[in-house]
Amino acid sequence: MMSRIRLRTIALKEMRHIFRDWQTLVVVLVMPVMMMFLYGYALNADAKEIPVLVEMPSPAPETRAVADKIDASQLFSVKGVVASAADPAELFRLHNIKVLFRFPPGFARDLRRPGGAKIQVLIDGSDPNLGTIIRNASEPLLLGATVEVLGVKQPKVLDLRTLVLYNPEQSSALFFVPGLMAIILLMISALLTSVAIAREKELGTMGQLLVSPLHPLEIIVGKIIPYLFLAAVDGLLVMAVGRLAFGVRIAGSAWLLGACSLAYIFTALSIGLLISTLVKRQQHAMFAALGATMMPTVLLSGFIFPVASMPLQLQVISHIIPATYFLEIVRGIILKGVGLRELWKPLLILSCEGLALMAIAINKFKVKL
Amino acid sequence: MNLFRVIIIKEFQQLKRDRTSLRLMIMMPMVQMIVLGYALTTEVKHTPVAVVDHDGGPESRSLIQAVANNALFAFQGNVDSEEELRENLDLGKVKLGIIIPADFSRQLESATHLNPGTAGSASLGSGSAGAGKSAGAMLQLWVDGQDANSAGVARGYLSAVLNQWAMRKLGTRLEAAGIRLDQLIPVTTDASVLFNPLLKSTWYMVPGIAVILVTMVTALLTGFSIVREKETGTLEQLMVTPLNPIHVVVGKAVPFFFIGVAELMFALAIAQVWFHVPFRGNYLALIAFTGIYMLSSLGIGIFTSTVARTQQQALFIIWFFLLFFMLLSGFFLPVENMPHWVQIVTLGNPVRWFMHVLREMFLKGSGFAELWREALAMLTIGFTVFGFSVLLFNRKAA
Repeated sequence: MMSRIRLRTIALKEMRHIFRDWQTLVVVLVMPVMMMFLYGYALNADAKEIPVLVEMPSPAPETRAVADKIDASQLFSVKGVVASAADPAELFRLHNIKVLFRFPPGFARDLRRPGGAKIQVLIDGSDPNLGTIIRNASEPLLLGATVEVLGVKQPKVLDLRTLVLYNPEQSSALFFVPGLMAIILLMISALLTSVAIAREKELGTMGQLLVSPLHPLEIIVGKIIPYLFLAAVDGLLVMAVGRLAFGVRIAGSAWLLGACSLAYIFTALSIGLLISTLVKRQQHAMFAALGATMMPTVLLSGFIFPVASMPLQLQVISHIIPATYFLEIVRGIILKGVGLRELWKPLLILSCEGLALMAIAINKFKVKL
Repeated sequence: MNLFRVIIIKEFQQLKRDRTSLRLMIMMPMVQMIVLGYALTTEVKHTPVAVVDHDGGPESRSLIQAVANNALFAFQGNVDSEEELRENLDLGKVKLGIIIPADFSRQLESATHLNPGTAGSASLGSGSAGAGKSAGAMLQLWVDGQDANSAGVARGYLSAVLNQWAMRKLGTRLEAAGIRLDQLIPVTTDASVLFNPLLKSTWYMVPGIAVILVTMVTALLTGFSIVREKETGTLEQLMVTPLNPIHVVVGKAVPFFFIGVAELMFALAIAQVWFHVPFRGNYLALIAFTGIYMLSSLGIGIFTSTVARTQQQALFIIWFFLLFFMLLSGFFLPVENMPHWVQIVTLGNPVRWFMHVLREMFLKGSGFAELWREALAMLTIGFTVFGFSVLLFNRKAA
């Protein structure tokens, strides 16, 4: 029923469409690479040199020494010292500071009294992440600094030895590359495909194709083939840049990764096909593809934001999205180096979703004809 | 000027007739605000933890209890061996593992062992002379480091919880010997959090989401509306009328200016009513800032329309821009953590400025007195982007 020559003809036609639209092509190929560089070099969750203000009503040598120790720490950087902070909130508003350390007037004297001295720490909590980091770090830092200034050694009760698994250098790129694969493959397979089919419908050229000797299935398969290629090229590009620029290596089996990627592309193509059977206009295809697939994938798959921190309802949605399972597989293979024994479950769910979606899409497609 | 009014009226009429787009404009941001408000959390909660307890004594059990009782962790129970822990990590069931060695109780005992000394200068340490010579009781932590950010945060929480437990142990130990902890460490701290006392992620993220949504909607709609006229050929018809291309393009932007301001007010209402984020600033100042910001966001839309030939291209180009603006705006990873040269690049990013302004206004109640630098930066960027795009459009049209 399907002829190779006719398939090739329609695939070549679609290929020409893709190459003629260089604006889209540039975005599709350049965006992932630039995003990788951003994640690899620019975006960093490690807070350093947090701007600090110190309130020191009576600067004794001990107080100054503690303030110096705060400044010397990696986490904080003292931006200034004030004698008194009458309106702390206004200080936070005017100067771009995140913490105010308030030493009491008789700090040095209090240190030698029973009960000890008390340092007040005011934290700008607007960024809750940073606020938590500051809150967790300031107490040990201040105690350690004071004790050191007094010449006493701080008692050490626990000796915590941390072993970081899977990503010992804690590189963001290593975490990001698998996620990027999931997004790009979805973007090309679901978004571009559905828009391409919707465009032919909108412009009326789909009708022309349908009255030609081409079989509808040939049209669809032929249209999809170039996007499959594009998806594969983009996926390889991400892997290559990841390897060359950031040293991302596949810890597990590359063949398994390829096979699982095919299963994911198949699922994403089914989504694209399904969207294209439901809409008549490009713009609607775009909104459907963006709103119903891209957004949830970027936000809810665990690509950037941890799924475990979301409310239950969103976690449920997250477990419907195919990318969630693909991410688990890709991260498993690339970072953890695990194989089918650990990953058969997500792979099975992913494949089932793909088959179900494709069945629905083909069914709808036939009904429309 | 009369011609300019005509084109603005045309645009408003066109907008009124396009019911689908109008509905999209109202519904989409509302749904997105609510979903995003919950999903975009940088908090690290419910981290699954498992423990290998080779010690099994009361001390190790008390330590496990301290971790299990903490709401930040989802305690998965004890496992029998390191191999089993590793397997749980491999399967992704556990993100953090604690390994308690067999002699933990003994090590802890010697670490908190009190060396008799003169009052006030008591020191700690096992047998060996001098203070603080003890290395402490060893604990191994295994961390799933795939996501460097959450791994770092979770690790920080865990060490804080463990150290607190240890200090408590030390305190009770000392008390039994009749020594107060403040004799050893004569200083305490008292931390309080301003502006967002419960450190809620939504308070920080929801205003940020509003910025992203408003930028997206206004840039996309402006871009789409011009490119659609290009696609259908009506733009050429407009060009052969006595209208100046600058009038056409600026006239197209005017309705979206109002839509942008209205949309932000709408987002503000959702933030306050649904997420209970306090707005402590001044509404008029907010509208003024939004107006300034619209220059940049409409400018991006116009610029896109000069490059794109189809709506799909417009979508991709705007998406591309927004992604970079968003990632480099401090939306979820602070600008201060970026390398110095990237920070300089972000000075040209309008989203970064508006993001900062909106968050400061919401939570700190800042106004023009504190944010005039930001206003100046946004004005400069806005006039540059808008002016450049309009001139580019004019040249291409000519």
